[in-house]
Amino acid sequence: MGVNNMKIIELKHVKKVYDDGFVALNDINLEIESGKFYSLLGPSGSGKSTILRIIAGFSRPTEGEVYFDGKDITDLDPAKRQINTVFQNYALFPHLNVFENVAFGLKIKKMPLNEIKPLVKEALHTVRLDGYANREISELSGGQQQRVAIARAIVNKPKVLLLDESLSALDKRLRKEMQFELRAIQEKLGITFIFVTHDQEEALSMSDEIFVLNDGKIEQNGTPVDIYDEPINNFVARFIGDSNILPGRMIKDFEVEFANKRFQCADAGMKPNERVEIVIRPEDLDITEPEKGKLVVIAKTQLFLGDHFEIKALDSDENEWLIHSTNGCELNEPIGLFFDPEDIHVMRKHESQEDFDARLESYEGERDE
Amino acid sequence: MSNRNKILFMIPYLLWIILFVILPILLILWYSLTNQSQQFTLANFELFFHNGTFLKMMLNSFWYAFLITFVTLLVSYPAAYFLTKMKNQQIWLLLIILPTWINLLLKAYAFIGILSNSGLANQFLQLFGIGPVNILFTDFSFIFVATYIEIPFMILPIYNAIKEINPVIIQASEDLGASKWQTFKYVLWPLSWSGVESGIQAIFIPSLSLFMLTRLIGGNRVITLGTAIEEYFLTTMNWNMGATIGVVLIILMVAVMLLTGSKIKRKKVDL
Amino acid sequence: MKNRKIFARLYLYFILIILYVPIFYLIYFSFSSGKNMNKFQHFTLAHYQTLLQDNRLIAIFLNTVILALLSSLIATIIGTMGAIAISRVRSKKHKQTLLALNNVLMVSPDVIIGASFLVFFTALGIGLNFGSVLLSHIAFSVPIVVLMVLPRLNEMDYSLIDAARDLGANNYQVFSNVMIPAILPGIASGLFMALTYSLDDFAVTFFVTGNGFSTLSVEIYSRARQGIDLEINALSTVIFVFVLVLVLIYYFISTKRGKKARGIMRELIK
Repeated sequence: MGVNNMKIIELKHVKKVYDDGFVALNDINLEIESGKFYSLLGPSGSGKSTILRIIAGFSRPTEGEVYFDGKDITDLDPAKRQINTVFQNYALFPHLNVFENVAFGLKIKKMPLNEIKPLVKEALHTVRLDGYANREISELSGGQQQRVAIARAIVNKPKVLLLDESLSALDKRLRKEMQFELRAIQEKLGITFIFVTHDQEEALSMSDEIFVLNDGKIEQNGTPVDIYDEPINNFVARFIGDSNILPGRMIKDFEVEFANKRFQCADAGMKPNERVEIVIRPEDLDITEPEKGKLVVIAKTQLFLGDHFEIKALDSDENEWLIHSTNGCELNEPIGLFFDPEDIHVMRKHESQEDFDARLESYEGERDE
Repeated sequence: MSNRNKILFMIPYLLWIILFVILPILLILWYSLTNQSQQFTLANFELFFHNGTFLKMMLNSFWYAFLITFVTLLVSYPAAYFLTKMKNQQIWLLLIILPTWINLLLKAYAFIGILSNSGLANQFLQLFGIGPVNILFTDFSFIFVATYIEIPFMILPIYNAIKEINPVIIQASEDLGASKWQTFKYVLWPLSWSGVESGIQAIFIPSLSLFMLTRLIGGNRVITLGTAIEEYFLTTMNWNMGATIGVVLIILMVAVMLLTGSKIKRKKVDL
Repeated sequence: MKNRKIFARLYLYFILIILYVPIFYLIYFSFSSGKNMNKFQHFTLAHYQTLLQDNRLIAIFLNTVILALLSSLIATIIGTMGAIAISRVRSKKHKQTLLALNNVLMVSPDVIIGASFLVFFTALGIGLNFGSVLLSHIAFSVPIVVLMVLPRLNEMDYSLIDAARDLGANNYQVFSNVMIPAILPGIASGLFMALTYSLDDFAVTFFVTGNGFSTLSVEIYSRARQGIDLEINALSTVIFVFVLVLVLIYYFISTKRGKKARGIMRELIK
């Protein structure tokens, strides 16, 4: 952890059980540093929004504590937290216009109007809505409402901004555009963003760090590259990007067996002959002639997706292989698949994040020497 | 639909408008501008505006209507708000609507018993060593019973309005630092105003014509324009004067409606 | 949090108690052998016997019901036709004028409606009896029917009518097989509202009724002015039970039909 980045939010052993007995969060521990862009990524019901609501203060954890700047804020009212939220469907005040919406938080603090005006102007400028102050909310498009919601939150200069599935209501193109903008706004303001999403592309493209959640637990956290390249388990591998997942067996360090063949790999630190799972990303597979390939498969279907072909193929064990390739191939003919040892990601079953990190450290140091 | 059919559908409805909306208004106007020997005169209006009793009665009517509406709102708003937080809201609503289906006169009649000198209210007061107090036939009893009757009609529109507010908007307000009171003042109240408005409209105007309540429990005194109209039409049979009061009432009502209906234009800000 | 919930509950109970005390007070004393509503003497059904033998009151009760059914039915027909006609008016200005005229009776105080109808009937030489009361009840029920039906017409999917025509339906078939079913919920709530308006009315009836005809409201008023009469209490019990049964039937139908009926309920509440 860098010395410049202060820990701003910390959740310790947070558990949330609803009245009907549903366990939304199970022993969540996480640390958020100031000035970074975080994503909480997971399918619906994974608990990501619950974490956000607990940080915002709309929901109290059943057990555990929430710290903000080192102070326990577990029972503090949302109104008293230096945290603001951009809600899923924006939750703009329909009876107020753009100016009044953005000025709301400042008016609440009894700031005089002549001080409010320049701040609102600046916030509207940041979200590129100059000149929209007197518009009614109903006159705005979805994208513009989204910007007002962001302006309304950032005008209060929160230390942390929470964004709850904030882009999900926008169409695809607008969403892409807003991803760039959100990142730009975060870098400009230098405050912490915590972004909740179920869209892995969104999380990968914007975040400094991602928490992958499932069933009320954090499955893995790390940078987008870490999580994409070294998924800790089957769930993360499947959830982040497309992947080929096969059962395998670790022969020894840096050698693994799957599809009835042995391959060199980049993983180590497991027991000999340990049962493992292998992940190979479809874009890491190259198509070659059958005799040059490390594996031979037979292509069954092929879709042209504009920038690449998506090919589904079967190997001799009837394992299905998903291949993303810039070149097409003949259907029902044998083709060779080529991949580098680094493209093989070996996952142990039921490995915790700590063990995973420790194991990685142990042999990566060794290999670099 | 062919034009012929369109006219066919319109005829009974237009007939209704002409016979029961336009004609009665014109007749009332006609009566107000004539004397009992059907000669044109402004004497009725002169009497109304130069006679202190009428003006006082007019003020009284509006004051009572205002009081009834205000007290009803005060009692009903929290009830409507709490209702939106309850489980089994349909049953609660049903329980609140049910009394409105019992005839108004029966409820008024019940209060003759409850508020009488040895009735339930005084028996209750005597537990605290107070009374017996003369409640029946006072202005208080009139306002109390009128409020009682109007409560459901205020709760329901406000409930509907609050129910339509997205709960996330309330959270957004708290998230932006607003206290409970500020959230109420700046978000909940303005957003539920449409319901409050229809509640006020559903109560203010009808409460001008609760002459049966003033007769039964208000002490049989002529205190509001509603009672005055009834008195002139059905007791003293001076329809011209009754019509005059009616016309004044109509004009005042239209004025009040135009006043409450006009939206305040928002000030534009220069940044 | 917990405290606030308890307070909310207590407040609502308090409101319910206020709303129901007068009703149960009436019912309670209907079983008292006394002459007033101050002290319960001892249990008796005597007032119910008097009620059953009171032919005048029973006749008035039947009059009231017949009046309500007849007036609401006619008002529903006129109001529905009016709503259809209004929905077909193209000019926005004419439409608004019609709606404004429609709402005049909705916002007028009952005394004004009653007084103006009295003047109207006298001017036209119509006698004050069942006829004048019926006409008045139809008159003040028409606008609510229009207001209930009109939104349904505005919401109606007009491609349905085109579709029906495309399938060979004639004007009458389009009207009876497509349009009426589409607006039926509105018509039903209009009829229901008209019914309650008629049953609830006192002021207008009081103005336009003559010696020969009376409704329950008017009768209760004249008896109540003469003081307490426990036969009225017995009548209250009967009416309360009657309403309760109706409400329960309605409630069970509406929970069975679920969402759709709840929509109607919401419209009724508005």
